Amino acid sequence: MVLRDIVFFLAAIGALAGALGVVMLRNPFYSVLSLVGHLLSLAILFLLLSSEFLAAAQLVVYAGAVMVLYVFVVAYIGGADEPLGPAVPAVGAFGPLVAAALCGELFFAFIGSGLEALDSRGAHVSPGFGSPGQIGSLLLRNFLIPFEAASFLLLVAAVGALVLARRRRGIDDEEGGARVDTIGHARAHGSEPAPAEPVAPGVER
Amino acid sequence: MSHAAPLAVVNYSEDWWIQILKAIVIFLVVLQIVPLVLLVERKLLGRFQSRYGPNRVGKFGLLQPLADVLKLLSKEQATPNTAVPWMMAIAPVISIFTATATLAIIPFGDVGSWGDHFGLYGIDVSIGILYAFAFGALAFYGLMLGGWASGSKYSFLGSMRSAAQLISYEIALGLSLLGVVIQAGSLSLTEIVDAQRDYWFVISQFVGFLIFTVAGFAETNRPPFDLPEAETELVSGYNTEFGGMRFGSFFMAEYINMIVISGIAATMFLGGWHGPGPAALDPLWMLLKIAGFLVFFIWVRATLPRLRYDQLMSFGWKVLLPLATLNVLVTAIVVVVS
Repeated sequence: MVLRDIVFFLAAIGALAGALGVVMLRNPFYSVLSLVGHLLSLAILFLLLSSEFLAAAQLVVYAGAVMVLYVFVVAYIGGADEPLGPAVPAVGAFGPLVAAALCGELFFAFIGSGLEALDSRGAHVSPGFGSPGQIGSLLLRNFLIPFEAASFLLLVAAVGALVLARRRRGIDDEEGGARVDTIGHARAHGSEPAPAEPVAPGVER
Repeated sequence: MSHAAPLAVVNYSEDWWIQILKAIVIFLVVLQIVPLVLLVERKLLGRFQSRYGPNRVGKFGLLQPLADVLKLLSKEQATPNTAVPWMMAIAPVISIFTATATLAIIPFGDVGSWGDHFGLYGIDVSIGILYAFAFGALAFYGLMLGGWASGSKYSFLGSMRSAAQLISYEIALGLSLLGVVIQAGSLSLTEIVDAQRDYWFVISQFVGFLIFTVAGFAETNRPPFDLPEAETELVSGYNTEFGGMRFGSFFMAEYINMIVISGIAATMFLGGWHGPGPAALDPLWMLLKIAGFLVFFIWVRATLPRLRYDQLMSFGWKVLLPLATLNVLVTAIVVVVS
């Protein structure tokens, strides 16, 4: 169908432009936004493949959770005037080489893996493939152990990040957990309590 | 129409013109509800506070929303020097888009309510309620870009505040609906309504309903969780620098979000289109339930004072989230055992 092709090319162009924007834009905030654009385009491509669940998960998890944190951090500390880092000439020379090597490796991996979808006929999938129910039963029956292990790993990582952040910033328990909000993060730089700032009357510190 | 068939397949058999017609009708109807809600809100708030509310423009003040909209349209759209103009232009668009997109999945009636060839809903996606969360997740960018692009500290801090609130309560909102999904055994909103033929899920999922209501209030930035636009104490928020219809768009998105949350509540907990009378009356019941929930929204606004920011955060993470998790756990155990 023609409409399908148009949407595919629009989404594909969006995905490529977003990916290029991430590495080429100098302002980190715009870089993050173009990564969001890239992820949105990927979600549209998933939709074209009739995997609605994957598209929704892409939006909820990546655009809605992971990228939100990126946007938070970049909006707070990533100014437009700050350079991203000193330009090292060796990196500039070496970069294309590494990129070409990675590109070649990926090509070999894709072709060597015997993916049926690379064929002109496309992969043969059973009806209901990629539906929420099927993904759920795959995760909780066939791949239960890896699934649980991955989620446990994430939990450990989250707890570890929290422990590290608390120690570095010196947010002690007297201030209360609820004080550790996003604004508090920007304020508390060292172990010293933040200098007295004008606080609205009636709001205890 | 049997419900054994995958509903997505049923929907694909609809003619393309029916789908376009449905999209237009849904959009127009909801667009008409927004000024109505505005008027009802101002009238009711007046009554709750022992005053009349708007009663000068038109009969009983009925033309007040029209006057408000005309005022917003004719206002100047100021852009600060430090702002990013193009981003200020698209931020309200994102907000409106994510709010309206969710309307598509709210069912107002089954296939067969008004005709055998189409259902009274925009689309019945296989991922059902996840669709709403996908667009809810994107709503963050409307607020965030709006605040960031304004180039003002108050707007920026305001948008950070709203964004933190949105993502904090989104989790509780999702988990509160998971109980219903487990009980109905389906993600599809039409099948969930179908599963409530005997009794509404508000009975068996009462805890989930409470959590959903609280989190829904926070998600729509409504009082008592209206920190994003606490005009009286926090210099409003992400929308401080917006004027004219751009501000109006943010405002409208908030009201559409209210309608969407009411629609989801009616669908997931209050039996959706089920009600006495012939099937042709189904959309009417749905609209009545939505209207009832909207009045509840307004009533709460007039009753409860605003929370402090740290109270808001600790309530969301320390009370609502564990409670929602427990609710899912208990529901799952009960469903598996019985």
